[in-house]
Amino acid sequence: MNDSGAMSAPLRPALGSKSDPGGPAVSALAAARLVLARDLKLAFRKRSQLVQPLAFFAIVTTLFPLGVSPELTVLRPLAPGVVWAAALLASLLALELLFRDDAQDGTLEQYALSGRSLTWLLAAKTAAHWLLTGLPLALMAPLAGVALGAPGRAMAGIVVSVAVGTVALSLIGSIGAALTLGIRRSGALLSLLTLPLDIPVLIFGARATELAIGGEAYGVPLRLLGALAVLGLTLAPLAAAAAVRINLE
Amino acid sequence: MAWTWFHRLASPPHVYRVAGRLTPWLAWPAALLIVAGLIGGLWLAPPDYQQGDGYRIIYVHAPSAWMSLFVYTTMAVAAGIGLIWRMKVAHAVAAASAPVGASFTFAALVTGSLWGKPMWGTYWQWDPRLTSELILLFLYLGYMGLRSAFDDVQRADRASAVLAVVGVVNVPIIHYSVVWWNSLHQPPSLMYLGKPTMPPSMYVPLLLMLLGFTLFYGAVLFVRLRGEVLSRERTASWIREAVRP
Amino acid sequence: MAFLDMGGYWPYVWPAYAVTFTVIALNIIWARRLLKRSRKEALRRLTIGGTDK
Repeated sequence: MNDSGAMSAPLRPALGSKSDPGGPAVSALAAARLVLARDLKLAFRKRSQLVQPLAFFAIVTTLFPLGVSPELTVLRPLAPGVVWAAALLASLLALELLFRDDAQDGTLEQYALSGRSLTWLLAAKTAAHWLLTGLPLALMAPLAGVALGAPGRAMAGIVVSVAVGTVALSLIGSIGAALTLGIRRSGALLSLLTLPLDIPVLIFGARATELAIGGEAYGVPLRLLGALAVLGLTLAPLAAAAAVRINLE
Repeated sequence: MAWTWFHRLASPPHVYRVAGRLTPWLAWPAALLIVAGLIGGLWLAPPDYQQGDGYRIIYVHAPSAWMSLFVYTTMAVAAGIGLIWRMKVAHAVAAASAPVGASFTFAALVTGSLWGKPMWGTYWQWDPRLTSELILLFLYLGYMGLRSAFDDVQRADRASAVLAVVGVVNVPIIHYSVVWWNSLHQPPSLMYLGKPTMPPSMYVPLLLMLLGFTLFYGAVLFVRLRGEVLSRERTASWIREAVRP
Repeated sequence: MAFLDMGGYWPYVWPAYAVTFTVIALNIIWARRLLKRSRKEALRRLTIGGTDK
């Protein structure tokens, strides 16, 4: 199937070809890097899609003062939970788009047939998702922190914990996104699949943020978050690749 | 050679027949054990020195909670076997287990909160055990939701199997994170009986109930399994024999 | 009567037992219904496409 040159021609330069004599032209890692660069380039063409999760994050954090109280003393104890719940939902919102376009135009199928490791290519796509949502969210989280009464010294802790936590969120989410690939209007189902698995991230993340706001050492929950991210890094792309294959069959 | 039993095990007509034959052998002992456990738990066991007769909820709560975890584990193992060896029957076991597990998780939640009312003074506490149980219910609902989203049984089987395996890796992580979280925010709650040694008149009925519920799961699983196997089979040859009215 | 009262805990003990045994009964009913439906479905398939393999 890979030898029908016309079909995979546009991808050949990017991913190399299985039929190349002397083995793959591009190593798995290099192919993953190309996918990452491609996803970033495509994302910057559709800027509104980039901004939406961030705007969503801002709106959700605005809802709490309006719904609870404008008093910063009341909001401060809620800040870690609010920041994390909002980050979780914003990351989830962006997940629906993680594989959808590529599944619809056949790119994902080409990846699966390219002879490159699908696991690596999906890991690259997930990395792109984190760079486009997780990292901006982490940089925006201090803003929400200030709005909810967190002191200035807490900002570094908030940024670091959200940055590490969203790595785990993107990875866990990639499994859910891959599983619901072929399902129309999958939003509610995707949240039902993903959110229960995200709970440890929420717990450790909110705890790290809470300690940072209180001016205490937040190393322990941060390390636990890191452990979750590493565990996700080793297992999630494998599961996502299996799920994509099932949905492409 | 050694693999013949495995293939026989995996062959749908064989499973259909054996499951049908074994069902009463599980169902009746289950009924007997549960009735014996009821008599032991409600009449013969003495009241607890602290919780009076309120503790008797344990005889339905603990077996339900046990079922919620046991069924999930069985489901995930079956799903994993189905994924690795592409075994239809294993997928059918997983599919047949989910509603059973979900319903007992629900029972564990309700009985836990009914027990909580006299012990804590409220129906709901963010107690680590109840919170984990609630998350487990969401995991079951997600699994069943994903299954029902597919029209094609084959695809539903394999996609939901990936989810079950991912879920079972997460269950201990979720549980320990919830315990950790709880220990930060409130003193550990004492759900089960505080006494280190329960008299036999108290724990024997509990053991009977645990065993009875487990056998009951076996019986229900086998009935459901026959249905699931039939719906996955399109070949007429053995179905004709099996479903002849 | 003292038995039904459960030392004053009856509003908690009896509903807990009722819920659990309702779940047990529902499991029996649902399992049987699933099997019956699949058999009916299989029969229907046989009579429609008796020759398909």
